[in-house]
Amino acid sequence: MSHETFDLIERLRRSGTRAAMATLVRTTGSTPRREGTKMFVGEDGSILGSVTIGGCVDARVIEQASQILGSKTPRLLNLKLGDEEAWEIGLSCGGAVDVLVEPLDEAAPLYENARKEWDAGRVAAIATVIGGDDRGRHFLVTDPPARSGITTLEGREVYIEVLRPPSTLMIFGAGVVAIPLVGFAKALGFRSVIIDSRPRFATRERFPEADEIRVGIPSEIAARTSFGSQTPVVLVAHDYKIDIPVLKRVLATDAPYVGLLGSRRRGAAILKMLREEGVDPSDLARVRVPIGMDLGGESAAEIALAIMAEVVAVMHGRNGAPLSAREDLVHVR
Amino acid sequence: MYGEVILEHSRHPRNYGSLESPDLRHEHDNPLCGDRVRIEMSLAPDGSVRAARFQGDLCAIAKAASSLLTEMLTGMTLEEASSITHQRMVETLRDEIPQSRLPCAHLPLDVVHAAIAEYRSSQCTSREP
Repeated sequence: MSHETFDLIERLRRSGTRAAMATLVRTTGSTPRREGTKMFVGEDGSILGSVTIGGCVDARVIEQASQILGSKTPRLLNLKLGDEEAWEIGLSCGGAVDVLVEPLDEAAPLYENARKEWDAGRVAAIATVIGGDDRGRHFLVTDPPARSGITTLEGREVYIEVLRPPSTLMIFGAGVVAIPLVGFAKALGFRSVIIDSRPRFATRERFPEADEIRVGIPSEIAARTSFGSQTPVVLVAHDYKIDIPVLKRVLATDAPYVGLLGSRRRGAAILKMLREEGVDPSDLARVRVPIGMDLGGESAAEIALAIMAEVVAVMHGRNGAPLSAREDLVHVR
Repeated sequence: MYGEVILEHSRHPRNYGSLESPDLRHEHDNPLCGDRVRIEMSLAPDGSVRAARFQGDLCAIAKAASSLLTEMLTGMTLEEASSITHQRMVETLRDEIPQSRLPCAHLPLDVVHAAIAEYRSSQCTSREP
């Protein structure tokens, strides 16, 4: 989500458009989006982002935004979510959200500073006073909490927005599946790193959107890389001489996702070789092979989509089943 | 699938690793199949190869060829190492190598020859006034 916020602020800065920034700061009940979600409403009427998923709540925020831009006074809106629709189908209520709407001018310099931290791979946090006389005052937080939310500081309600640096998708193999993978990764806010031993394949021309391209001995590159809980790994080289030594390195780390391109049979053979080389069976169980969700597609882009769908599900602690198959409330957290 | 020599050297490669301060070092890849190997050599005072090591993510043929070649190089002069041919390299593997896999068998030798050429070139440069 952080990348969306920074990208939208940057777009507005470039266009020179004055805008109101609406931030979802509190949710209760069943709500479709998390705290920190933003929408920007330009003085020219342009709308970027959304605090819910469209609908009447967004419309009310847009209405308020132009007044707030005029008065330059931040306002905290308490809005019932989906009441009209809920009544029609016999439910009493969906949920409620608090949305802080404020002129972006005031906050922009702080977001620029936060972006520098974020670009450097560090967590940034911005506090915004949402109650009291100095509502809308911002300051950077040096010791950020685990996630965005409301807290009380010096007797005032403050919303702290935690801007975590993006996850980095490590892609071993610069083949045809890796190309759409990089595109999907970028759209989803991941950094992407392409690793291959072949300089002819791992090129900027083939991967214009990759954040990094590393050419060398893949297992050596893996050994030098720090794989943390925000570093999912996909192996799409489809080549045992790369897969085996790289897996050996990666499985010794905390990488949250390890996917291997190949059939079940190929995967079983590779895992057997790794077991014979002494890799712990509990680590081998982390390898997702065949890689990706069962979407049925066969083109490179469809395979990449299936892979990214699985990566996203795993990073959110979900199993990727259709939402329509769930019986509990989808947005209760 | 492979002969005994290739199997033995690919499963138990000799001289895999790196040297602390090698005199010669070169790394290269097979542009399409992705074998990439780095070979390092240190020289004895008489100019012969004191030790040779290789490192890389390699197929069975390239790994066996690298293992056998580094064994072969130890004790050779650079002149002798330069005269090793592709044919001798393939013969050392003692197996029928299909045409399409010959680049895998040749890669480590090509890397050694490139390392020697670089070393000689650097020696010439360092001797220039």
